[in-house]
Amino acid sequence: MSTLNWIKANLLGSKKDILFTILGTYSIYLITTFFLKFIFSADWTLVEVNRKILLVGLFPNDQIWRIWTIFSISSILISSTIGYTYNFNLKNSVFYILFLTIPILIFTTLDLLVNMLLITLFSCIAYLATNKLKNTNYAKHIKLILWISWGIFLPSILLILTLFGGPKVTLWGGFFVNLILAVIAILAGFPLGIILAIGRASSLPVIKYSSIIFIETFRGAPLIAWLFFAWFVLPNFLPDIFSLDDINLVIRAMIILSLFASAYIAEVIRGGLQSIPKGQIEASTALGIGPLFEMTYIVLPQAIRVVIPTIVSTFIAIFKDTSLVFILGITDVLRIGRLIPEQQQAFYGKSIQTLLVVALLFWIVSIILSQISRSIEKKLNLGN
Amino acid sequence: MKYNIYNQIKNEKSLSGKLNVVRYDKNLRKIILQIIFSFFLLYFLYYLVTRSFNLDLGLSHLSSRAGFGISHQFLTDYTSNDSRWDAYFIGLVNTIRVSIVGIAFATILGILMGLARLSKNFLLNKISTAYVEIIRNTPLLVQLIFWQLALLQLPQISNALTFGELSVWSNRGILLPYVNSLQNGELWVLCLLIGLIISLVIRSYASKHKEENVNFFSPSIIAISVFILIAVSTYVILGVELYADIPHLTQNQYGTYIQSGGFTLTPEFATVLFSLVLYTGTFITEIVRGSIQSLPKGQTEAAKALGLNNYQTTTLIILPQALRSIIPPLTNQYLNLTKNSSLSVAVAYPEVFMVSRTIMNNSGHALPMLALILSTFLTLSLIISLFMNILNRQITRIGA
Repeated sequence: MSTLNWIKANLLGSKKDILFTILGTYSIYLITTFFLKFIFSADWTLVEVNRKILLVGLFPNDQIWRIWTIFSISSILISSTIGYTYNFNLKNSVFYILFLTIPILIFTTLDLLVNMLLITLFSCIAYLATNKLKNTNYAKHIKLILWISWGIFLPSILLILTLFGGPKVTLWGGFFVNLILAVIAILAGFPLGIILAIGRASSLPVIKYSSIIFIETFRGAPLIAWLFFAWFVLPNFLPDIFSLDDINLVIRAMIILSLFASAYIAEVIRGGLQSIPKGQIEASTALGIGPLFEMTYIVLPQAIRVVIPTIVSTFIAIFKDTSLVFILGITDVLRIGRLIPEQQQAFYGKSIQTLLVVALLFWIVSIILSQISRSIEKKLNLGN
Repeated sequence: MKYNIYNQIKNEKSLSGKLNVVRYDKNLRKIILQIIFSFFLLYFLYYLVTRSFNLDLGLSHLSSRAGFGISHQFLTDYTSNDSRWDAYFIGLVNTIRVSIVGIAFATILGILMGLARLSKNFLLNKISTAYVEIIRNTPLLVQLIFWQLALLQLPQISNALTFGELSVWSNRGILLPYVNSLQNGELWVLCLLIGLIISLVIRSYASKHKEENVNFFSPSIIAISVFILIAVSTYVILGVELYADIPHLTQNQYGTYIQSGGFTLTPEFATVLFSLVLYTGTFITEIVRGSIQSLPKGQTEAAKALGLNNYQTTTLIILPQALRSIIPPLTNQYLNLTKNSSLSVAVAYPEVFMVSRTIMNNSGHALPMLALILSTFLTLSLIISLFMNILNRQITRIGA
């Protein structure tokens, strides 16, 4: 009976509700049948054949261990961080596992399954270890280790990719290039954004106005214009010690994406800085802490805490924006998704299939990030 | 004796004492810090300027012949013989056109979906959630290309879809029926807009002075009658004759299909519009939901207790209050929509960025063109912010 009551209350409450329910059911029926029909009638062999190209582009086969290493390091790092900060939450875990299985189902072949299982195993061990140890005396050490490893994360990724005869940057491609562009833009843009936000809040006019000009210039024009700037103009302004080969398009896109991200992150953090009650600053001044320590120990931690959800949505936006490098001709996943149906004779004109897979890849990463943001938000609200 | 830093330094006997004064003086420290910073900044600017000596930074090349055609024009007859400035302005008009239409539809969609998201109806709620979660988390560029491909799936013109002979849907575009005029139609619409602004001004003026001079008519009635007066008089003066423009699909003697009449939604414009509206709509949905949720629950309950129905509660109590916290983030989304319209370069809708890129490729003057794009978008952003600030002031003034 309870289900009947539920239906009565939630679907057929009033005359209007009945109308909405009927219309909604009909539109859901239309859309889902349309999509299911397409998905089951379409030929998906092009995705099966081009798995590797979609994920890593033209990365040489004998160098792919580099990507596996990066993948495993990052997943272990991420899972141990999650283990350190969160308690086990069944609903969230089920959500993450469910969404991570979709790409695995699409992309994993048998020989990759061993690698995937090993990485999953190590990540689970890292998660459980940090989760158990955070309540013991070792918590401080683990925190330190995590901070250090996040600090050296970006350089170590770049080292793994380039050391000992790594492939040329021009060979980077596929979804890998989107991920690495996003990670670099976020990790480089975040500290820069903090500096800019502090600069904007500064009482020194020179610093304040130069930060404002930087932030507003980057926010004023669309990212695609900045990417064209990176393409045509940036090489002219870089020091002569680099040859054009050193600063190829991917690296230029990294520079511009980091600067662009920093401008947006700075605006988010500025909101956080403004939300700090004045008493905090006055109290720390009264204690004679000094401006530098006041910023790093009193103001910033509180300010960033407040805006974490917004920062995560900025990260999602940056990650989605990496798809724009498609227009520059970098072989990111979108470009590859467009090229496959144009260049492989067997798959002429099957653009929608690859496009759906590309969209799915972006969607899964973004939705996991937004779920993380939501749980952080919930945690922060509980703290209040 | 005046207490200042010079005297303080003078009074100190030892050198270390003098240095300590300099070290611990707050204002002096600030000035020194700024001088050091400006030194680096000036050096950086000097570096940039010396680097750009070999570039032609003028915009004079924009006066020369454009040499390329533009597919979408609005009220102009641009040809490839016109100057690059003309091409640029056509691009600008196209950007403004798609932004205005996009902003209007995205706002409507966002508000409807935001209300649906808060609806008690389980199905509506879930539809809205699915819409937000799917569209918001995929890149706009992917969606643009998806809609481009989807619109190409429309039937060829030989078997175009005609909905009761009212509209023609084919992969050459969507033709919709609309109201056209024989002459001066655009001018009349402009007059209507001006009339609308005048009547709004009159209304606010009349309602301000309501107590002073006793009016026989309410301010709204005065405003409406002024508007009708302006509309009718300009209609007669300009000689506008309105008629229903219904699209037709005909075949000439060679069997070629010709579409005529109606309002043409080209595939490129429709692609850009659909994707911008759907994408920005998700963000507006979230803004509307957040603002309404942040209202105290007592507002709804009080409205219910006063006997207002659902529609009245939403339009009279909830939305006006929520608008206050909706407007600032909404402005941001409008700016984003305008900037995102530059992505239509991927689907060949000739807005300002695409035209500038073509000029850039033809002339090779990349830096001045990028500066022009930057200033264009900054100006557009400022105009939108200005309008929204005026709106915001109007809204926060009511009941304050």
